[in-house]
Amino acid sequence: MHTTTVGSTTARDLLHSLVDHGYTLATGVPCSLLNGAFRLLEEPGDDARLAGLRYVPAPREDSAVGIASGAVVAGERAVVLMQNSGLGYCLNVITSFNLIYDVPVLLIVSWRGHDGNDAVEHDVIGAELLRLLDLFRLPHTVLDPADPAGSVSTAIDQMDKEQRCGVLIVREGI
Amino acid sequence: MPAPLLAPAFELSLSEVVREMLVRHPDALIVSTCGFTSRELFNAADRPENFYLVGSMGMSAPVALGLALARPERTVIALDGDGSLLMNLSVLPLVAASGTRLLHVVVDNGMHESTGGQSTVQRSDFVALALAAGYRSAVRVETAAELRAAELTEGPALLHALTGPRTDGPGRRVTHTPQEIVERVRTAANRPVN
Repeated sequence: MHTTTVGSTTARDLLHSLVDHGYTLATGVPCSLLNGAFRLLEEPGDDARLAGLRYVPAPREDSAVGIASGAVVAGERAVVLMQNSGLGYCLNVITSFNLIYDVPVLLIVSWRGHDGNDAVEHDVIGAELLRLLDLFRLPHTVLDPADPAGSVSTAIDQMDKEQRCGVLIVREGI
Repeated sequence: MPAPLLAPAFELSLSEVVREMLVRHPDALIVSTCGFTSRELFNAADRPENFYLVGSMGMSAPVALGLALARPERTVIALDGDGSLLMNLSVLPLVAASGTRLLHVVVDNGMHESTGGQSTVQRSDFVALALAAGYRSAVRVETAAELRAAELTEGPALLHALTGPRTDGPGRRVTHTPQEIVERVRTAANRPVN
């Protein structure tokens, strides 16, 4: 089971950190590894810090990257959450939009199939995820569940420095 | 199966639709789809509010939606094509659910004109699709008179304009770099609107 209780500490800390860095828009397509984060985005409850992070569910990951990119063009900070399977849909937008216009969007990507013991549909992308990101020189950071804020800061710093989409990889469920 | 839509007179053109939008919404942020559509907008009026997509077919509406979410006080237009929208039909419920006032203009010539005029799937009833997806209003126009008379109330709204093929050249390519386009639109998006 990859699901966690609603509002796991790691997910909450991660989202709080995004808010602290000025993020105002979150969009994406769910993954069970990111269940806690999506539940918090859908139901922030009385968490005032999350009130400023608007969540827009998207039908597909490439459209989510498009929405986030529009917000970034306006000068906002936007994040896209997705499973690594969704990266395939996004490659065209990332390579023919974000990497052409220098519009960096933060991607939080779950790493299904990272250990070769996941469901079969994750085998191919799971084995090649890091090489895929390296191929397009997308800076990436693997989330440290013990220090979500530090991982978020590292991912954003890399993204800002290189002005390319930054990827925060989530290997264990949050 | 319903008969495909036809545009018997081919009376309208992309140029006329673009000009009408510029007259109606002089302050609008406009995200134009790739190919001849961006070139048309560039040649009609090269405004800082224009976001010319040079690639990313299917993405004009999502990018416009991101702008609309970030700047809800602004009028934002997605200048789309039939091929581009057909590539990404799932954008319709996404836009509808957004609660923004996005104006989605679909210029439908029934073909992929920028790549040589190959047919799209078929002329689709984008008005019915948009309304079924939850757009608050949607109007189809086939003539200049209908275009001028089209009433688009609070969005999200869709204007489906049936047009004919070009009768002249596509005009100059966009000369700004992608980085210049982003900078111009960002400045324009954050300028106070009268």
